[in-house]
Amino acid sequence: MFKRDSVCTYTMESSVPLLEIKNLHAGIDGNQILNGINIEIGAGEIHAIMGRNGSGKTTTANIVMGHPDFDVEEGEIKLKGDNLLDLETWERAKRGVFLSFQYPQAVPGLQVGNFLKKSVASIKGEEAAKGKNFRELLKKSMKELNMPSSFLSRYVNDGFSGGEKKRFEILQMMLLQPQLAILDETDSGLDIDGIRTVATGINSSIRGTNSGALIITHYSRILDYIKPDKIHVLIDGKIVATGDSTLATDLEENGYDWLEERVKEGGIN
Amino acid sequence: MNAINRYKEVSGTTDKADHLWRYTPWKKVHPTGDIKIVPEIDKEVKLRLINLDGTDLAEGISLQKGNVLEEKIEDIDPVATSFIKAVSEKSRWVLRTERKFTSEAPILLEIETNSDFNSLELVLDIGEMSEFEIVTLIKGESDWTGFLRTGRIGDGSNINDITVCLQKKGVLLRLDSIALGRDANMNTGTVSSGSERTKADLRYRMAENGSHLQVLGSILSREDMYLDYHIEIQHDAPETFSRLDWHAACGGKSRTIGTGMLKVAKGSTGTDAAQNFHNLLLSKDAEADGIPELEVSESNVVGCGHGIANGPIDENQVFYLQSRGFSKSDARSALIAAFLNSTLVKMGSTVLHEWLSKLLTSELDAMNK
Repeated sequence: MFKRDSVCTYTMESSVPLLEIKNLHAGIDGNQILNGINIEIGAGEIHAIMGRNGSGKTTTANIVMGHPDFDVEEGEIKLKGDNLLDLETWERAKRGVFLSFQYPQAVPGLQVGNFLKKSVASIKGEEAAKGKNFRELLKKSMKELNMPSSFLSRYVNDGFSGGEKKRFEILQMMLLQPQLAILDETDSGLDIDGIRTVATGINSSIRGTNSGALIITHYSRILDYIKPDKIHVLIDGKIVATGDSTLATDLEENGYDWLEERVKEGGIN
Repeated sequence: MNAINRYKEVSGTTDKADHLWRYTPWKKVHPTGDIKIVPEIDKEVKLRLINLDGTDLAEGISLQKGNVLEEKIEDIDPVATSFIKAVSEKSRWVLRTERKFTSEAPILLEIETNSDFNSLELVLDIGEMSEFEIVTLIKGESDWTGFLRTGRIGDGSNINDITVCLQKKGVLLRLDSIALGRDANMNTGTVSSGSERTKADLRYRMAENGSHLQVLGSILSREDMYLDYHIEIQHDAPETFSRLDWHAACGGKSRTIGTGMLKVAKGSTGTDAAQNFHNLLLSKDAEADGIPELEVSESNVVGCGHGIANGPIDENQVFYLQSRGFSKSDARSALIAAFLNSTLVKMGSTVLHEWLSKLLTSELDAMNK
């Protein structure tokens, strides 16, 4: 498949999805949580996963990032066609996978400024963490997220408010410029202004790029600002419905019961 | 009575099995193992007093040999104290600052311990309203080092005082007995990644109203090290404040011990005091003990608390850092450094903190090799 671009050259449009999760079965300590998940995200796309507590949303995020506590029993996870399951967490990060944590870890004693530099150097190379370009990107990103420069001398997530933690996760995403950003309930605990600010950061990092994002959320509020290309609904470790942004509105208004009923009736597989 | 006879008198009443402050038998830290022996140490310990940045020392500070004042130090263990006094005949020093002495640059007191046995007695005589930072760096390859430090921090002084122990081997017996004057403010820190065996008894007395003390520890033990620290803080006056915050990271087959004793005398109203020990266990074979104790004889206090937390590196923190591109070993190193930095950062100015951080980083690198 060929596509004509604006400077009259021909390039091959990649048919390989950015992220491909195929028939993923996984669990922890012998408890099955995911029962055959399939998701495919193309470059430049933003998808969302919605579902009740315990449906497997955070587990999916942790498994893509390579959390050692989870066991993958079956299935595949590929980033641009490369198998992620054989890689350590830090290798996945270097390949461009980023997870914005629902509950980011506090590390007292580790200064934010040093942490960011080390992280950017590890993922994008030593040169990327040095000089004017890094400083300018840092300054611009912090301004966009309404973060004061004094933030840099604090310790990682130590004593941060809920909103500060989420902004800090987005700041890291903006600096690391990942191929795939997974945002695990980044909107929870944020007020309306916070959601708007965070959504701006996500849009500016993903839209118009070759990157993609998977947003995990309970609520449709953040999706009003981000407008995902697809929404997947997860029930009991399985995606039971996929649709456009109107699906989020339906769920907000009617809850999950109607979907569960349809699953029980065998109407959705 | 001379110092040797004094030692023989007090040690004669001590059973060999007696522990110095419970955890370390005296014979284990005695230079020969036979507590009846008082070895003759004929070499003096070399000291050097300079500014950390290489500039000239400010006027008003001096390091002089001899002239040790008779300090009231009976609060420290009499056996260890009299022993160090008995073997420090050739190395008695006084570090004195004049009234209102100030120094912008941190000061470095280097103690080289390269002969087999070293023992040193140092008296601090800090003039009123002095303001400076001083690092005492103990380094070398001595088999045995004794270091007794006594003295008084003058009224209204503001001192950051850090002792860094980086001896590559041997035994370190370290004793502090420091009194704080009225409204004196002292941050006293210990950074240690050295000696095979350390026994330290560090005692601070809030002798007068309004004194303010922070005792901090950043301890890294590895291999077969055995590092035993006892810290005692005595509140003897009203409206005094103290905090003890002790962090020990313990790897290899090493053992660290931290015992704290917080005493509040009757009449020390308005005392605000707390002590906390945190131990990070880096291997299955490492052992860390923390024992905070309180003896509070005054009921009208702001607060007196103590706490302890022991545990391994948090694997969720490791996962978080790995998700940001840190390899597993980098993540662990960063978490150990952060743990030790939590107390290190409180020890002094930004300049001093940078110097201490570099030192600690090189010790951590050595551990990871």
